[in-house]
Amino acid sequence: MYRYDDIDRTFLAERVAEFREQTRRFLAGELSEDEFRPLRLRNGLYIQTHAPMLRVAIPYGLLASRQLRMLAHIARRYDRNYGHFSTRQNIQYNWPKLAEVPDILAELATVEMHAIQTSGNCIRNVTADHLAGVASDELEDPRPWCELIRQWSTLHPEFYYLPRKFKIAVTGAATDRAASEVHDIGLHLVHGTDGSTGFEVLVGGGLGRMPMIGKRIRSFLPQLELLAYLEAILRVYNRHGRRDNIHRARIKVLVKSLGIEEFTRQVESEYAASRATAPRLDAAGIARMRAFFAPPDYRPLAPSEPATGAGAAFLAWYRHNTRVHKLSGYRVVFISLKKHGEPPGDMNDVQMDALAELADRYSFGQIRVTHDQNLVLADVEQSALSALHAALEPLGLATPNIGTLTDMICCPGLDFCSLANAGSIAIARQIDERFNDFDYLYDLGEIQVKMSGCMNACGHHHVGHIGILGVDKHGEEWYQITLGGSASGQVALGEVIGPSVPKARVASTIARILEVYLERREGSEETFLQAVRRLGIEPFKERVYAADTAAA
Amino acid sequence: MRQILRQRELAADDWRYPGEAGGGPQALSFEQVTAAGAALPASAGVVVGATDDVRRLAPLLDRLALIVVHFEKNGDGRGYSQAQVLRQQLAYRGELRAAGALKRDHLFLLARCGFDAFDLDSAEDALAALAQLGRFTVAYQGASGTLVQPRLRG
Repeated sequence: MYRYDDIDRTFLAERVAEFREQTRRFLAGELSEDEFRPLRLRNGLYIQTHAPMLRVAIPYGLLASRQLRMLAHIARRYDRNYGHFSTRQNIQYNWPKLAEVPDILAELATVEMHAIQTSGNCIRNVTADHLAGVASDELEDPRPWCELIRQWSTLHPEFYYLPRKFKIAVTGAATDRAASEVHDIGLHLVHGTDGSTGFEVLVGGGLGRMPMIGKRIRSFLPQLELLAYLEAILRVYNRHGRRDNIHRARIKVLVKSLGIEEFTRQVESEYAASRATAPRLDAAGIARMRAFFAPPDYRPLAPSEPATGAGAAFLAWYRHNTRVHKLSGYRVVFISLKKHGEPPGDMNDVQMDALAELADRYSFGQIRVTHDQNLVLADVEQSALSALHAALEPLGLATPNIGTLTDMICCPGLDFCSLANAGSIAIARQIDERFNDFDYLYDLGEIQVKMSGCMNACGHHHVGHIGILGVDKHGEEWYQITLGGSASGQVALGEVIGPSVPKARVASTIARILEVYLERREGSEETFLQAVRRLGIEPFKERVYAADTAAA
Repeated sequence: MRQILRQRELAADDWRYPGEAGGGPQALSFEQVTAAGAALPASAGVVVGATDDVRRLAPLLDRLALIVVHFEKNGDGRGYSQAQVLRQQLAYRGELRAAGALKRDHLFLLARCGFDAFDLDSAEDALAALAQLGRFTVAYQGASGTLVQPRLRG
């Protein structure tokens, strides 16, 4: 993975010193809340319902074991012994003290981590495929490009006060595991007709109040032009994106109002005008960056299968929580942060320390964070799986539910967030309680449930196979259900099935939807999403609301 | 007379903004300057707003000694792009001044975009602000200003 040099270290030390001074001025009354807000946001610091919330960047979801140990240390020393992994591969602490945040940032800097631009109207943490480098369907590893984008976007002098936040995702594989089509910019690594590397560039995707799928602005951008082209897009957005209405300020609104043809024309014109001065990558710089992400020292191993005498718990875990690795003899292991009854994405300090140890022992000391709030040990030898499982189980990190209904995406909701309408975590618990039979979950097969406590869609509900959105009705929590959304493959936004349901009936509504699926599916090979696409939402809608009429 | 920061020093401003009375040369509005066109006298000054297209100044740049970019609101970033276009694409070499709702915290990035003069929020301590130009000794990107050497080529 990328390692800091003197420039990175100097920059980060200067940044921490800057924020320490800004915090001091705020606490001394020299800066008003309005003046301090944009400064603290660009250092990851929100003021939330109960306390400040600090969002720490995990660039493209990659962590070294010493970094995970630091996250554990921060949870212990400055918070309440846990952190929450977000849908953008970051980690959030919910209980830090404002005056201590500069110290937290200084501690993070010692392990080459920061919270820069994890919020605010600027370029946010760049995200990537959590299986980068190990997926068999990968054309090229996206992470060197992500690191180049991270550096380029860090305190970019021109793009630090954008109309609104700006998110970039990069993938290099056939399957999109980074939800790139619902990002402000989605970059897909592709090869040109001459075999050279380049990017397909999508622009204007996003969720929130106005969900949109990104539109293609370039089918092939030569690799050396990446930053120059990003600058052209950002400059058009910075100049013309709306600043009068926060709900109309994302780039997707500009793309929609101009139309993709006119937007493309403006970007290409800006790109042409800045040819002489725009940043241009060079082959040596790219090669240097690629070297940081060279494969670890894999051993040549024969393929193997779990021992026939293995226990049922191990086999269920093997089947659901591990995936094929591009090299024989290795498996990709998912660490489920969806233990039933626990808030999705939460992890405590003991688990973090223990997992860091296991990463050192079994997976080259690296951990990845997925955008659906789980962790991954990407390079585990087949022969070590049984020992790894045995170590994970007592830690509560081996719930065999990856890809199932209870592997939900969930925002922090009312419990923490000042924007939320709904207690997402309580709903997750309700769903966990109702669907706690693993045989039933396995029979249902792959289902992605995604839940957001408000329209801002941090829980990506629009692209859940089942989406759940918290809405406020006269001070009560109600929930709107959508079906048929998907963030990868044939990307789609879910369709609302009808009026929202009261809090107490979310799990029972989902149960009715699942009944229809089990009755109508064409064999167990037809997944829930395929069935919804074939049947449309009508049969589900009928069942959900017919029952209401009967009960009334 | 208004105090500004110019070329890393506290200086008395010799210009008047549009609508201001007093001595010294009068800076014009963007509309006045673009309307004057070829009739614009030498060593003129202009005040540019966030929505003005600075590329329209291209044919007049050799007659402009001062371009003031006005930042009406904290957090409006359009002026940073205007500066980059003026310095990089149009190669403007005269005084480029950032004025308006600006604090010391904005100074470093403004300077990186090519601003060399600053008329900050009147409540801001100009000397404390000046120190911010040295806040960072490194940067990742190339940019118009030459405060630091960039890591990435540009």
